[in-house]
Amino acid sequence: AGVLAAHKITASSPDTDLPTVSGLRKIGVNFTVSNKDTVKSSDVLFLAVKPPIIPFILDEVGPDIEPRHIVVSCAAGVTINSIEKKLSTFCPTPKVIRCMTNTPVIVREGATVYATGTHADVEDGKLLEQLMASVGFCTEVEEDLIDAVTGLSGSGPAYAFTALDALADGGVKMGLPRRLAVRLGAQALLGAAKMLLESEQHPGQLKDNVCSPGGATIHALHFLESGGFRSLLINAVEASCIRTRELQHLADQEKISPAAIKKTLLDKVKLESPSLSLESTSKVSLFTNKS
Amino acid sequence: RRGRGSEGSMEAAELRVGFVGAGRMAGGLARGLLRAGKVPASSILASAPSDKNLDAWRESGCRTTHCNLEVLQESTLVFLATKPHILPGVLQEIRPAVGPHHIVVSLAAGVTLQTLQRLLPAGTKVLRLMPNLPCVVQAGAMVFARGTGAGDGEATLLKSLLSSCGLCEEVPESYINIHTGLSGSGVAYVYLFAEALAEGAVKMGMPGGLASRIAAQTLLGAAKMMLETGEHPAKLRGDVCTPGGTTIHALHQLEKGALRATVMNAVEAATNRACDVAKD
Repeated sequence: AGVLAAHKITASSPDTDLPTVSGLRKIGVNFTVSNKDTVKSSDVLFLAVKPPIIPFILDEVGPDIEPRHIVVSCAAGVTINSIEKKLSTFCPTPKVIRCMTNTPVIVREGATVYATGTHADVEDGKLLEQLMASVGFCTEVEEDLIDAVTGLSGSGPAYAFTALDALADGGVKMGLPRRLAVRLGAQALLGAAKMLLESEQHPGQLKDNVCSPGGATIHALHFLESGGFRSLLINAVEASCIRTRELQHLADQEKISPAAIKKTLLDKVKLESPSLSLESTSKVSLFTNKS
Repeated sequence: RRGRGSEGSMEAAELRVGFVGAGRMAGGLARGLLRAGKVPASSILASAPSDKNLDAWRESGCRTTHCNLEVLQESTLVFLATKPHILPGVLQEIRPAVGPHHIVVSLAAGVTLQTLQRLLPAGTKVLRLMPNLPCVVQAGAMVFARGTGAGDGEATLLKSLLSSCGLCEEVPESYINIHTGLSGSGVAYVYLFAEALAEGAVKMGMPGGLASRIAAQTLLGAAKMMLETGEHPAKLRGDVCTPGGTTIHALHQLEKGALRATVMNAVEAATNRACDVAKD
């Protein structure tokens, strides 16, 4: 999106064989195997490790966190409170922002929300918003809504991919070549989403606009309704949200043991201290030079 | 005395209205016309084979008879409100008395304009009307279609008279069966829904009578908001749903039960049945 020069971004991972690593290197991002180096060379630090790893990462990099750092956690189910608690043993007023985004940030059509922690200022939030708005939609929310956002737009692309796969199957069944079916299905959803975002009208009204009396579309919609299409989607969002809360609950109780983390990861990592049994998986941070 | 016959010059107040058949639907329409003050009771004449149905008409001040021909002789606007299967016989009977000044409006479900025109003198002004029961309380939903002999004047007259009973729209004849499925029978779907709402409330501890009245008022209020705001029902629904609140939880239950599809099935079934009946 052109908001940052590649050389201002540092990423770290213990595992240098990951395809993501070479991808990052290709676009000019600074790469290191040391999380501590990443922290030292950054102002805004994105923690992009899997949720169970977060506590271990925080223990590792905690001593290097300085007042200038804005720690942004993208980990599902990890509360601001838990991060602040961990970091407060090292730093009295850590700036923490919790963020939930989704995969289409890759194509700059992400859906991102964030909640600011106790010591993060309004401008810190705005900085993050500016960064994330360059890759899609970004807005601030109350932290207690983040699980719902996860259920809706976090998992949402998966629902869409499933729908698209099935739509393509329908097209193929009725005679279309697969590639064309996929292309048309994706475009149909993209177009519909765009119409909704750009229109003042309710989706129900937009739906009606497509349904001519006794026509093809209304016949098809009847099938969707008969199958409980709407309730399936409601169920899905609900299930994802509830599961997120469950995982959060488990994490809060620190029930995830090192044994749950891949042993192969442990093998590749140099132990920095006896209290840590492992280092992180890949972690990307954005380096911004405020001066 | 005969009524005036020229198109468009008919005054509703001077109109002489007749009903062949005096059953529930005819009674509903007449009651609606009377309550709205469109036609004086003395201008209404109804015929039926027995007195059973006619007593209520007389009590309202309408004139009654056992002779269908008399209705044709005394009235200009004639509603045919017999049961569908006896209508052809009635048409044969009244045919000699039907003239160019008459406006004949059939309420018989399943009897097409083509059939009506075939059994009446050529060029007769024939229309087909499909009302629903709430016409009785002036909250009906009615559609009508014109035959080849009926012109703008007749359509305008009928619409202006019947608007006193509720919503009245002219449609192509092909919509009439759909109207049956949607609104003719639809009234029963609403009663079913209201009953279920009340039952839910009773389950949760409310007395039945109160629950029933509140259920009815809820439906009335929601319908009124739809009609008065003109907003899409989906938008109105969203307006009631506070995030994480009671309404959205309840709606999820309705969606799980595929209520929408079930209702669509009902409308389809009634419409198809109306079409089947018409073919017989």
